Amino acid sequence: MARQQPIELFMPPNMLKAKLGGGTGTAGPDMAAIKRAEAALEQLHEEFAQWAASDVENLMAARARFGKTPDSGSRAALLRAAHDMKGQAATFDYPMIARVAGSLSKLIGELPEKRDLPLALVDAHVSAIHVIYRDKVMDESNKTAMVLAAELENQVAALLKS
Amino acid sequence: MPYQFDRLKVLVVDDNAHMRKLVVTILQAFGVSQVSEADNGEHAWVALREHNPDICVFDWMMEGMSGLDLVQKIRTDPQTPNPFVPVIMLTGHTHIDQVRQARDAGVNEFIAKPVSVKTMMQRLQSVIESPRPYVRTKVYFGPCRRRRGADEYRGPERREKKEAAA
Repeated sequence: MARQQPIELFMPPNMLKAKLGGGTGTAGPDMAAIKRAEAALEQLHEEFAQWAASDVENLMAARARFGKTPDSGSRAALLRAAHDMKGQAATFDYPMIARVAGSLSKLIGELPEKRDLPLALVDAHVSAIHVIYRDKVMDESNKTAMVLAAELENQVAALLKS
Repeated sequence: MPYQFDRLKVLVVDDNAHMRKLVVTILQAFGVSQVSEADNGEHAWVALREHNPDICVFDWMMEGMSGLDLVQKIRTDPQTPNPFVPVIMLTGHTHIDQVRQARDAGVNEFIAKPVSVKTMMQRLQSVIESPRPYVRTKVYFGPCRRRRGADEYRGPERREKKEAAA
């Protein structure tokens, strides 16, 4: 079929490839660089506990701010705090925090702005994250945490359907 | 032969300092020595014009100008230093609609958080080895949103309809 819509399609010269030279072609990734990076992250690992603590504090502060001034700015800040945790808690050895934060992100992000956030459900998530961190639950198969996370996810799903 | 990553200039933008440090650590371990950082979209725009990076790594969700807004600005603002600069988007968003939204803003590659070393290397390799053609239409400028060559496409002409509607 002839393509007639007014589009301009062009391929800029690959200056990046020319600049970096070499390349692995079909030989796969640069394993030496990957090993160096994994070793560097291992060294960084000592800081992860501190980073996780800081994220939990940020989330609780964002929740407190939303309680004081529940507007679109504080709601967005709460979403960003939850979203950050969802993305990085697993890296910091807290996969269950990532899961619960994912549920909280879904709740805040997918509930239309015109609907009020259900504070009890928000607080249930925040408390769960706090307890998982306090008790150092780093095991993804911790049964209590799994049941808790599943219940929160179910409640969010039910709310979003309603 | 490995890439000479020491020649590469990368701009990392994330409002979360921990995530920024994580990404910068990975890049520096790869051998990238010229890494600039910004903690929001506005600072990123300044850094972009100052350093003219070869590759950008942006977080999506940031206060003020989001990573998505920033990509659109890079692709379309007359003041942009390089509208073709490859952008790798870091995101906790994994829903297909959100991926489409980022693709439509002109993002080249995605990394779903949590970030891994192997994924970062794969995405860098992808923008270096397999750059996509660029497309300019009335409503879009950026990397071709179809993964394979546009001439290979045999499906319905959705872009034409979208542009007609616009």
